[in-house]
Amino acid sequence: MNSAIIFGLLIALMITGMPISIALGLTVLTFVFTMTQVPIESVALKLFTGIEKFEIMAIPFFILAGNFLTHGGVAKRMINFATSVIGHLHGGLALAGIVACAMFALVCGSSVATVVAIGSILLPEMVKHGYPMRFGAAVITVAGSLGILMLPSIPKVIYAVATGTSIGALFVAGLLPGILLTMMLCTTTWWIARKRDYPRMTRSTWKERGKAFADSVWGLMLVVIIIGGIYSGIFTATEAAAMAAMYAFFVSVFVYKAMPLKDTGKVLLQSANMSAMLLYIITNAALFSFILTNENIPHALADWILAKDLGWVGFLLLANLLLLVAGNFMEPSSIILIMAPILYPAAIALGINPVHLGILIDVNMEVGLCHPPVGLNLYVASGISRLGITELTKAVLPWLGVMLVFLVIVTYWPWLTLVLPRAMGMMPPG
Amino acid sequence: MLKILDHLEEWLIASLMGGATLIIFVAVIHRYAAGWPIPYVQDWMLSLNLSWAQEACIYMFVWMAKFGAAYGVRTGIHVGVDVLVNQLSDRIRKRVVLFSLLAGAFFTGIVAAFGTNFVWLLAHTDTTSPDMELPMWIVYLAIPLGSGLMCFRFLQVAWTFWRTGELPQHDPTHVEGVDQPVIPDMSADNLHPHEVAGKGGGR
Repeated sequence: MNSAIIFGLLIALMITGMPISIALGLTVLTFVFTMTQVPIESVALKLFTGIEKFEIMAIPFFILAGNFLTHGGVAKRMINFATSVIGHLHGGLALAGIVACAMFALVCGSSVATVVAIGSILLPEMVKHGYPMRFGAAVITVAGSLGILMLPSIPKVIYAVATGTSIGALFVAGLLPGILLTMMLCTTTWWIARKRDYPRMTRSTWKERGKAFADSVWGLMLVVIIIGGIYSGIFTATEAAAMAAMYAFFVSVFVYKAMPLKDTGKVLLQSANMSAMLLYIITNAALFSFILTNENIPHALADWILAKDLGWVGFLLLANLLLLVAGNFMEPSSIILIMAPILYPAAIALGINPVHLGILIDVNMEVGLCHPPVGLNLYVASGISRLGITELTKAVLPWLGVMLVFLVIVTYWPWLTLVLPRAMGMMPPG
Repeated sequence: MLKILDHLEEWLIASLMGGATLIIFVAVIHRYAAGWPIPYVQDWMLSLNLSWAQEACIYMFVWMAKFGAAYGVRTGIHVGVDVLVNQLSDRIRKRVVLFSLLAGAFFTGIVAAFGTNFVWLLAHTDTTSPDMELPMWIVYLAIPLGSGLMCFRFLQVAWTFWRTGELPQHDPTHVEGVDQPVIPDMSADNLHPHEVAGKGGGR
């Protein structure tokens, strides 16, 4: 009964279009004042202490690092390298775009930043070589979503904080699925490009490839810093994020000289704006999940789901559908903050690995980023390419289909996500 | 007067962001550099105590988050589910948007009031933070100040919207320093929030 009231109120407030953070906060306030015996002081305290965790502070650092990287000429060198390796195949530039997105995703934790960084350089180039704009924009929209799957990712940090899962394990777990998705997207693109006879680049020599790789090595070093640092225990995830931000700043300003020093203030302000928005949602979502836990709703829901006897196959199907629907209304961080605490207890009871659940949620969020009405990747790609949303949506469809197939694979083949973190000893073998 | 406040706000959150990054960077470097056996330098390194860095970073980000959230109201970055609202007729939509802005002001106002009370109580105790030994009430001052500012920003935005029908909009497609063709005409579809006054979108 209480859960119906809480969620009803939340949904009613959300459809007025008010910020999700405010809707969460007002739901909690209304509930506390009218329905429960929870002392108001404990709620107030939660509101103040909700974000005082060092793990959460990885989010602003990763946002900052991502912003330095999009400005920093790292993307351009990755595109050059990818083009030199696979540019001579059918649809070579598009394939290079996908691989460059995957490389950029290794060091960047945001899909939107990936689309901006790769798309704004690659799309004009593709049009110049005779590709239709809609083809290029569609490829980049979908490939950009690799940004939150490969290694560092802001949604993963949020999931880790919401459920207490290891950040390091989640980062590494996304690597193999990310490579699989890259290959699936490349195959589809290659097939379409061959059928429509899109242009190919001239084959590069090994010497040119070597030079292009050496050029992009400064950016790729970030992988070593982030994953190497966390894996070897040199620093925590948050410290790794801060080091990544400093390193990205250094590379952009002093090595590649792509960003003038005087722009630093602007980048800092932009990153602060974005981080504060996320931290504000996190504060209020912490409050919300405190109330849920206090009313014992996640466990009641878990019991209810277990009583349905769905088994893990049915449960994961249900979870996927729920997340895909939610992806039509909200952006990833809000969905994760609201849904993860609800799905988590039931998933654990069914013997689903928390890391597997995290990656599954992450892939669902990727799908949501690529279709209207709230898919941010789509809007950003439409902004860069000047294509209408409707046209771009139609163009994205074939790759979106591939993503859904990929989602099914990730959902029902846990080995793919779990083998790497287990092999690296980041989570107990099971 | 308002201009000064705007600049102060921007300057504060940008420097907190940069400052926290620097502190963590220095602290990590220090942790390992202190292990290198360089004469004199090592002694000097060991004499520095940077154990407070983590705590400082958290508090700086809490302050950044509270004031940044207020700045975010001004830049329109706090997004909601506006798909349904944008389907409404302009007259009704205007009321719903006003309602949600005032709800924001209401919530942040209440939090500011709670915060003031909380800080007041804390100020009469001598609780300090574990590492830096700062009085906790100063740390938590971010809540009444930030939330109060946020409440003010909501009212400001609501007032402007009521008079002119304009909302601040965060445009994720615009990225500084990246060559972009042209800012797209975002009003060409009905998926984006549009202004009530003026041309009123493409419906």
